[in-house]
Amino acid sequence: MDTKNSRQEVKLQDDSLIIHEEEIEKIDRALIKLIKGSEAKCALLVDKDGHLITRQGFTHSLDTTALAALLAGSFASTREIARLVGEPEFSVLFHQGKRDHIHISLVGERSILVVIFDDRTTIGMVRLYAKECGEELAAILEEAHKSKKKSEPAIDSGFAASAEDRLNDIFRD
Amino acid sequence: MVSINYAFREICCKIVYYGPGLSGKTTNLIYIHKKAPPQTKGELISLATDADRTLYFDFLPIDIGPVQGFATKFQLYTVPGQVYYNATRKLVLRGVDGLIFVADSQAAKLEENIESMNNLIENLEEYGYVLEELPMIIQYNKRDLEEVSSLEELEKCLNPRGLPYIEAVAVKGIGVFDTLKAISKLVLEKARGKSEPEGKKELVSVAAESKPSVMPSAEKEELEKKPYAPAREAVPETPLGKDSFEEVERDLEQPERTCRVEEKLENAREKEEEEQAKEAVRLQKEKEEELIKARLKEQEEKAGKDREEAERKKLFMEKLERGMAEVERQKKALELEKIREAEESKKKEQAALIEKMKKIEEEKKTLIRSQSEIEKETVEAERVSKEVVPEKTAQTVKADETGLPFQSKVITSPMLKQKKTKSAKGGFLWRWIQKIAGRR
Repeated sequence: MDTKNSRQEVKLQDDSLIIHEEEIEKIDRALIKLIKGSEAKCALLVDKDGHLITRQGFTHSLDTTALAALLAGSFASTREIARLVGEPEFSVLFHQGKRDHIHISLVGERSILVVIFDDRTTIGMVRLYAKECGEELAAILEEAHKSKKKSEPAIDSGFAASAEDRLNDIFRD
Repeated sequence: MVSINYAFREICCKIVYYGPGLSGKTTNLIYIHKKAPPQTKGELISLATDADRTLYFDFLPIDIGPVQGFATKFQLYTVPGQVYYNATRKLVLRGVDGLIFVADSQAAKLEENIESMNNLIENLEEYGYVLEELPMIIQYNKRDLEEVSSLEELEKCLNPRGLPYIEAVAVKGIGVFDTLKAISKLVLEKARGKSEPEGKKELVSVAAESKPSVMPSAEKEELEKKPYAPAREAVPETPLGKDSFEEVERDLEQPERTCRVEEKLENAREKEEEEQAKEAVRLQKEKEEELIKARLKEQEEKAGKDREEAERKKLFMEKLERGMAEVERQKKALELEKIREAEESKKKEQAALIEKMKKIEEEKKTLIRSQSEIEKETVEAERVSKEVVPEKTAQTVKADETGLPFQSKVITSPMLKQKKTKSAKGGFLWRWIQKIAGRR
C-alpha cells in the first residue's frame, strides 16, 4: 500500500504544471513561427486539463479560457472514443467550418496544440507546420518538466489567507 | 493539478462539482454566475441536452484577481450526474484540484448519493489520485425540502472520512458561496506545497467554526474510525485493483522508457543533423568551387574571345590597311597608267604632230619640188624666151604700157637677172640648194 501510494504521489507531483517565463518565450516563438509559416489566424497551447498555457495570433476576439476548456474536453472525449475503438490515441483532430477551421494535435504527453485558420491557407500547410511545431513544443515542455522539480513553490503560506480574504470580499450573499 | 503560469503570473485551479443526477451541481454554477461580480466571472458554458440535463460538463471561469502578484483563477466544472454518462464524467475529473460533492438531501435519493460517491472514488482511483490528498468538500443540498435525511444519517453514509461539509439550498443560493470559498481555500492551501496534515486539520476546524452545521469533532473522529459502511465496496479495503496498479506502474515506467528512447532518438537525430550539416557544408563548398571554376572558365573564355576578337580586329585592321594600301597602290597605278596613257597619248599626239610635220614638210618638199620644177620650167621658159627675145620684149612693153605687169616686170627682172647670172656663172649654187632641199 505504501509503495503504491508513494508511486501515485510521484505521478501526481509530475502532473502539476508549472511553466516559467523562459519556457513561455520559447513556446511563443515556436507558435509565432507556426502562424507565420502556415498563415493561420491563431495558435493556442492548452493543457489537457483545460488550462490555457499560452496563445499567439488574433485571439482578442476569442474567449480563450472557455475555448481551452472546451477543446480539452473535446480532445479528451476523442481520446476516449479512440480507446473504445482500440486506438491508443487520435493524435490529430480537425473541425471544419464554413470560414474558420480548427486543427488540434497532441503535443507530448499532456498538452494539445490548437490552430485556428481560415481559407487563406490549407489544412495541409497547417498540418505540416503544426507537426513541426508540435515536436519543438514537446521538447520544450519535456525540458520544463525535468527542470520543474528544482524550482521552489511560488506560493507561500500567506497566499491562501489573502486569497480567502479576497474570496470573502467577492462572494458575499 | 494546480497550474502555475509564471509568464502570465497566473494560478489556475480546477474545481469539479460532483454528485448524483439532479442534485443541483449546475444550479450551484448558475447561482455563482448570477451573483458573482461581473469582473470576476466569465461566461457560463453548458454542454447540456435539450432537457437541460448536463451532457458533458458546465464550465464557469472565475477570476478573483491578483493575490500576492498572481492572478488567481478558478475553473468550475460540473459533471453529468446521470449514471449513463460515466465516460464523460470521468473525463471531467482529469486534472482536478478540488472536489465538491453535491449530495441530494432527500431521503429517497440517499442510495443515489452513495452510488455517486462510490463512482467518484472509483474514477479518482483510476486516475491515480490519492483520496486523502485531494481537497474535497461535501455540500448537502436541498436542505429546505420536507422529506430530507438527517445530517447524521448523511454524514454516516457519505462522509466516513470526516470531510468538511456545508448545508445548502442552491436554488436560493444558501451555502453556495460558502462552499466555493471553503474549497478554494483548501485548494490554495494544497497548492502552497506538499499537503500538510496539520494544515488540513486546521482547515477542517476553520470550516467547522465557520459553519455551525459541522459535526462536533468527537463524533467526527468516531465516524472516521468506522469503515465506509454504506458503500457497496468498502473503499479502504479495496485500495487499487490489480489492473489499476499495473496501469499505474506502466504509466510510471513509460515516461522513463520513452525518455530513454527519446534520448537515443535525439542522439541519432543530432548525429544525423551533424552529418547532414557537414554534408550540406561540403556540398556548398563543392558548389562554390564549381561556381568559381565556372566563373574562371567564363572569364578565360571571355578573355580568349576578347583576344580572338582583338586579333580579328587587328587582322581586319591589317587587312583594311593592306586593302587601303592596295587601293592606294592601285590608285597610284591607275594614276601612273593615266599619266602613262596621257604621256602615250601625248607621245602619239607628238608623233601625230611629227607625222603631220613630216607630211607638212613632205608637202613642203613637194611644193618646193614643184617650185623647182616650176623654176626649171621657168628657166626653160627663159631659155626658150632667150631664144625668142623679140617676142618677149614686145610682150613686156605691152605690159609696161598697161602698168600692171610692172611689178612682175620689176620682180622678174632681177630674178631673171639673177638667173641670168646664175645660169651665166654656172648653176652650182642652185644645184646645192636643190640638194639640201632634197635631203630634207
